Amino acid sequence: MRPLLPAAILLWCAAFPLAAQQTDPPEEERTSLGGYGEVHFQNASGPDTPGIVNVARFVVFLSHQFSDKIAFRSELEVEDAKVEGGQGGGEVALEQIYLDYMLSPAFTLRAGLVLPPIGILNETHEPPTFNGVERPAFDHDVIPATWRDIGVGVVGTVPGNSGLGYRVYLLNGLLASGFSADQGIRSGRQEGKEASFANPSLTGRLEWARPGLRIGGSFWYGGSANQDPALGTGTFDNAVALVSADARYETGPFSFRGVVANISIADADAVNAAYGGQVGSRIAGGYVEGAYNVLSALAPASAQRLDAFVRHERFNTQAGVPSGVTRDDALARRITTLGLTYKPLYNVVFKGDYQLRRNQAGVGQDQLFNLGVGYQF
Amino acid sequence: MLAWPAVPLAAQTAPAAKVAASIGRVFGAGVTVDSVLVDSTEVFRVSKEGALLGFAEIRNVKGKERPITYLVAIDTTGATRDIDILVYRESQGGEIANEAWRRQFRGKTAADPLRVGKDIRNISGATISSTAVTRSVRQALAQLAGWRAAGRLP
Repeated sequence: MRPLLPAAILLWCAAFPLAAQQTDPPEEERTSLGGYGEVHFQNASGPDTPGIVNVARFVVFLSHQFSDKIAFRSELEVEDAKVEGGQGGGEVALEQIYLDYMLSPAFTLRAGLVLPPIGILNETHEPPTFNGVERPAFDHDVIPATWRDIGVGVVGTVPGNSGLGYRVYLLNGLLASGFSADQGIRSGRQEGKEASFANPSLTGRLEWARPGLRIGGSFWYGGSANQDPALGTGTFDNAVALVSADARYETGPFSFRGVVANISIADADAVNAAYGGQVGSRIAGGYVEGAYNVLSALAPASAQRLDAFVRHERFNTQAGVPSGVTRDDALARRITTLGLTYKPLYNVVFKGDYQLRRNQAGVGQDQLFNLGVGYQF
Repeated sequence: MLAWPAVPLAAQTAPAAKVAASIGRVFGAGVTVDSVLVDSTEVFRVSKEGALLGFAEIRNVKGKERPITYLVAIDTTGATRDIDILVYRESQGGEIANEAWRRQFRGKTAADPLRVGKDIRNISGATISSTAVTRSVRQALAQLAGWRAAGRLP
């Protein structure tokens, strides 16, 4: 029996010979394999639109812990089941591959192909983590998930029970040649494939979390001219400035989330002159979503979840237009999604939803019915 | 005299100094800690001046990819005194180590549901670690309660 006094800590430690062992796991336990996947059924309203079933995603996470301080993480994705020459669709892509060097919980160096820490979905998009079969259109046409670029950065949590965390990276930039009227900056992403580093861009996020609430703010700032003389050869020419804010709130059987973002494209008129197109000078919007776990009332003792949710998205990829562009009101979108998300286990999900896709022009509006299954591990 | 366990502990564990500091924080200074083996599990018996204060266990549970090493401590009635996250190895979800999340476990017994979304609030973005540790604490309390009922805890 040894008393726990500071002076006797060394003696006391001898009482725990096995607890004093190294914290490194044995070699064979250091590699981890995980993944997520989702299969969808979608049927749009109207004639000549047959239902479509698709293996939307099959993703493998491969990671390895080299030591207590150094870890490798990767994410490899197959979209639409296969890639075949001459056919559209389908993609095999590395979405993440990076090394982490943890100097302290407050300060981890990271380098490789990483996810810009913008909004909610870009970093957290496993099927059981969001409602609705398809990802919100906002997370496609405004914040272009899954956005990934190559660079270096620092991540960490502020010590002392602060609940604050941050991530900041310097990454390769966007290409203005890919910007479009209906999908904003989405096709300007380089996705780690021989990306031009002509416009290194800064991106970061600060978030605060406590039980039941997480709020965060993110930004991206960098040029997109890629040294095209028509747009500018400077590092920050044709700057894209993005700011966003998001929140997730859970209380009892209710959960809510919301995101807003604003993207400014400098010299959008020059982009349109150089590449043709009707790119907006400002892209903005957001969504709010609320859900209620029906099983909390129907089967209170159950660990399963059946969330009934509703989401309303409102965004415009031509919120602002440069000179020479006439706004297309069909791009001012309003999408309402109602659905059910059934999770027998927190890692497995069966989804169904009905979407009403509307826009300010009242043109090309439709309804979608979606079903999906998904998992993560 | 302490009996050294003949069976190896879980491969993931925490530095002894951290364990000592954790037990000191949870039970107070000047306590005596004995290591006992119950069903091949190392349980710490914590007492002060001969009076039993409670028990503690180091446990490991898999988070998203890496094990989370934590300490769960109960008092003499079997209610949780506190939990402490000893080693958190991942770059995400570490908010569960904060006081605000851990304090939800104080007073919990094996009779409580201990379910994220019911009596334990989740931290959005740390759902996997919240769920994993909550499940592990639930199992620990059930196991300790079973041993207490069978008179296996000295």
